[in-house]
Amino acid sequence: MEPERTELSAAALPRPPLAGRLKALLSLAIVAGLVVLAMRQTEFNFPALFTGAADFWSFFGRLAPPLSELGSDWGAYLPELLPPIIETLQIAYVGTFFGTVLAMPLIFLASANTAGDPVSMWIARTLLTILRSIPDLLWAAILVPILVVGPLPGAVALTLFSIGILAKLGSETVESIDPGPLEALRATGAGRVATIVYGVIPQVAATMVSYILYIFEINVRASVIIGYVGAGGIGFTLQERLSFFDYTGVGLIILVIFVVVLAIDGLSVWARSKLI
Amino acid sequence: MSQRVPNSPLAIPQPPAAMRRNQRLLVGGGVFTVVLLIVVLLTMDLPTWERISRGLTRSLPPLWRGFSNPNFELFPLAFSSMLETFFMAVLGTLLGGVLAFSLSFIAARNLLGGTLQAIPGKALLVAIRTFPEIVLAIIFVAAAGPGPTAGIMAMGIHSIGFLGKIFSDVIEGIDPGPMESIRAAGGNGVHVFLFAVVPQVLPEFASNLLYRFEINLRAATILGLVGAGGIGGPLLQRLSFRRWDEISMMLIVIIAFIIVVDAFSSRIRRTLV
Repeated sequence: MEPERTELSAAALPRPPLAGRLKALLSLAIVAGLVVLAMRQTEFNFPALFTGAADFWSFFGRLAPPLSELGSDWGAYLPELLPPIIETLQIAYVGTFFGTVLAMPLIFLASANTAGDPVSMWIARTLLTILRSIPDLLWAAILVPILVVGPLPGAVALTLFSIGILAKLGSETVESIDPGPLEALRATGAGRVATIVYGVIPQVAATMVSYILYIFEINVRASVIIGYVGAGGIGFTLQERLSFFDYTGVGLIILVIFVVVLAIDGLSVWARSKLI
Repeated sequence: MSQRVPNSPLAIPQPPAAMRRNQRLLVGGGVFTVVLLIVVLLTMDLPTWERISRGLTRSLPPLWRGFSNPNFELFPLAFSSMLETFFMAVLGTLLGGVLAFSLSFIAARNLLGGTLQAIPGKALLVAIRTFPEIVLAIIFVAAAGPGPTAGIMAMGIHSIGFLGKIFSDVIEGIDPGPMESIRAAGGNGVHVFLFAVVPQVLPEFASNLLYRFEINLRAATILGLVGAGGIGGPLLQRLSFRRWDEISMMLIVIIAFIIVVDAFSSRIRRTLV
């Protein structure tokens, strides 16, 4: 009797509104166009991806010495890597510490609810945007010719980069706090510093400590590579081994980086879970 | 009577025990941090003040001259290499997104039916995330030769770690209702996936993909330092010759480009979620 209604035909289903479909199609077309343009501009092709992957795997094979020579090769080289890896962690620690100390005043200058006046807030925010736009390795590359080659430019680079991220994360946290305590303090006649110390800091302290640990994780990852441009740490050793084509040495360094980063991450995740 | 005099220290209640414990922890942590800093600074291989100031007096005047008048003749080169960097970030993010999309389903507890089954997938994602992309780029350049392809692959692989984690978290947070109704209506696994999982996760996926793109654009500017394409290569050349007027021009292009792309991207992300 009603043949159309015996089964679910595609036409029986309601279709999404036209405007939504057009928007989805348009965004898909833009992304596709961008990808085609990008592939042409960078001369990237998918076959190269597969041969590249094959090269990658065969290269991986060269990174490890034969099992019989494991002790004489990696075993002998490992102690030599201890000083650069300690230097790497030192750079990350110093960068995180000074980054945190310098970011603190900037957090309160850049947050709308604790800033003094619009002009200083704007200046603080612009400064933070610029600090964040330049990646850590680029900071290191710029600072190496200015400061002496070694861990110092690395530590300064990580300090600058940490200020940028921490102050951004921090000011977002400060802006989202409960305004009640602030109003209560202001009503009793408290000044700006007293309001921040007693009204803001107790509310954000735990989150901030968690962010600082997170920045330390980022800085450990960054400090293993900044040596590549001459800023101290194990990256310098990595670059040296690569330029000698000592691939088993490179392999051990990568393994050490892997273990250290994983250990620091684990420690930091554990500490953060205790915190909140 | 004396206890009830207002504002005497006794009238103010003591903070609760948990808070006092936290305060002690905070003071202990602070002391530890500072002591560790002093030890680190004393054992670090830092140059003497005299050497630093000698270096600064030599390098700061030309630096200031270069930064106060950027070389605008370099603008076309700086812009075109930044454009290449941008395209590298597009492809790297897309590659990472496609790979992470497939991997995220083997790291999501609710799709696999248990925490245990998701462990291999999650462990794989952590392992991938641990390698900094620049280390991957170094390996790709050594294995497959320099150029943007090495950088794109490095970014693609590294992005899997972050995107896969976020994607699987998103999948674990979906509403099970639609999945059950499709199963109840007789749909198979593919139907459940296509009509219950994908529509729920797509906006979150797109938003995180854009966020990762912002990160990758910054990363792509430095990949050139190891020969993996983009603006980092020409920039490193100029850094080694200390051509500060050209370096400042390139930095202006990098910063402006990143700020503009970030603004666009965060606007799109706001409409998505």
